[in-house]
Amino acid sequence: MRKPEFVYVTYIETTPEKLWQALTSSAFTKLYWWNTEVKSDWKVGSPFALVTNGTTTDVGEVLEFDRPRRLSYTFHHILNEAAKKERPSRVTFVLEPAGKLVKLTLTHEDFAEDSVVLSGISSGWPAILSSLKSLLESGSALEIPPPCGGIQ
Amino acid sequence: MSKPEFVYTTYIETSAEKLWQALTDGDFTERYWFGHRVASDWKIGSPYKFAKQGTNTIEGKVLAFEPHKRLAYTWDPCAPNAHGERTSRVSFDLEPRGKIVKLTVTHDNLDEGGKTFRDISGGWPMVIASLKSLLETGRPLPADVKSNAAQEQSRA
Repeated sequence: MRKPEFVYVTYIETTPEKLWQALTSSAFTKLYWWNTEVKSDWKVGSPFALVTNGTTTDVGEVLEFDRPRRLSYTFHHILNEAAKKERPSRVTFVLEPAGKLVKLTLTHEDFAEDSVVLSGISSGWPAILSSLKSLLESGSALEIPPPCGGIQ
Repeated sequence: MSKPEFVYTTYIETSAEKLWQALTDGDFTERYWFGHRVASDWKIGSPYKFAKQGTNTIEGKVLAFEPHKRLAYTWDPCAPNAHGERTSRVSFDLEPRGKIVKLTVTHDNLDEGGKTFRDISGGWPMVIASLKSLLETGRPLPADVKSNAAQEQSRA
């Protein structure tokens, strides 16, 4: 059986440097990620956290920080009780320039069997990355209602 | 084992009417679908096709046509090396969410490990990204995204 994973590819008219900043700067993530801040000093091995309106929803550890090409961190949701019991999964962003665009590939993998986190992130990432693309191309993010359950 | 299917969701700041037009009007598809024009009378069971510079690229028949909500058609690539694979199926589901429309593309009934599955897995993210850009900014993605992406891939 194939291992459960979530892969999402999109193309954004921007530069790798701007996209990198959008993924790693909390001032930027707040604009397109349901007011969520990414918190880390981005050293490999350092802690990583997602904080929404003052509440920490997800924590992890920085695995790779190869600016502006490859970003990876572990991902452990801590708000929902069932999700909290699961082992941390892993998120990787790969940025590849394609002419005037950047191809962004998100891979979220290494899930527990029957993971509740997998179903949450499968609806969350397309909304977050759609909003990110809008912000970088048109200057305004999307007002997408957050999905139920609060796992993004 | 689960049958391979490809599901891609995006959110576009537009109306369901405009998005519907973008999916079903050849003048519109030519702009964001890298030169491919769609044509059909859009009656259930009718043929439809995509053509680029007069050459047919995809053909099939209309399975569902519920304006502003749901469009589905069979998908038969005209490329010779896809022949022998079963005819697959594409559905577009449009759900308005305030000022935004959630678009879900589902491509199923694919052959495991087949050429069509590989092609569409790379193709839909480009087409849908270009569609979103056109509707939100007035500009589709540049047509050279396909060759550039292919070059990057071969370099990797």
